[in-house]
Amino acid sequence: MKAILRSALMLVVTLSFLFSCQPNKNAEKEKGSSFAAIDSNTTTPIVLIYNFYGTHRCPSCVAIENATIETLDSFYREEVKAGKIKRFGINIDDPQNEELCKKYEAYGSSIYVTQILKGKAQTKNLTGEGFKYALNKKEKFIEILKSTIDQFLKEE
Amino acid sequence: MKKLFSFILIVFFVSLFYGQQVIQLTPKTKLLVYYFHVTHRCNTCMKIEETVKKVLTTYFPNELKNNVIIFQSFNCELPENKKLVEKYQAYGSTLVLTSIKNGKEMKVEDITEFAFSKINNETLFTTEFRNKIKEFLVL
Repeated sequence: MKAILRSALMLVVTLSFLFSCQPNKNAEKEKGSSFAAIDSNTTTPIVLIYNFYGTHRCPSCVAIENATIETLDSFYREEVKAGKIKRFGINIDDPQNEELCKKYEAYGSSIYVTQILKGKAQTKNLTGEGFKYALNKKEKFIEILKSTIDQFLKEE
Repeated sequence: MKKLFSFILIVFFVSLFYGQQVIQLTPKTKLLVYYFHVTHRCNTCMKIEETVKKVLTTYFPNELKNNVIIFQSFNCELPENKKLVEKYQAYGSTLVLTSIKNGKEMKVEDITEFAFSKINNETLFTTEFRNKIKEFLVL
């Protein structure tokens, strides 16, 4: 009986490790993206979306990033292709990202949408809405994100 | 083994029937502070709840003791909390304040955005949240 219990315990621990510590596969796509090469004096708006996350991610954090990717794939394929919208998955635990995290005051999972236009930047923090809706009411979060992106693309 | 299995089964069914109870208002109640969270929580979500509790117990201990302020935390993914979740549109981590006068709800304010944007600065969070509570208590 003891041996069975020990095996069951080991299986549970192994499975929970496998399922809880995996990085978001979609986020991996973003590795190597350069966020330094953006012309801040652009005369047409550029929208930057930052999904910040820690190494060990919770389901809400993963859901926010997945809903962001889904929004871009569903509504903004052309804009992404043309470089008008850029998304970055940023690991806050990576020392290389320290400066960017400080700039956005991103100390935990968070999402920021920034508009770059004529040397100016304005940012909207959608973290609260993300945590509130992305996991269990995805369509509502997508609606909020879409409306923010549309507003930033339109404003000139 | 059989006994253990039966015990687990009983606990499971009892927990289904007796889910989390919403603390009832008293004639003294002026403010409800509700925090909703999902089952698998991140550090930020836990830090928000911890800091909210700390502000309430540090600056409003009497109000908490006398139920002038009621603080409750709910798992928004549990079926027994479904009605509350729909009422407050709290499908994930959500911090919401409700002012009460003569047993009736007067004003509801969702301060989730504030919570998530300020929680990294505990001093600032504490000051602003404390002021918000004061503001709601005099409504």
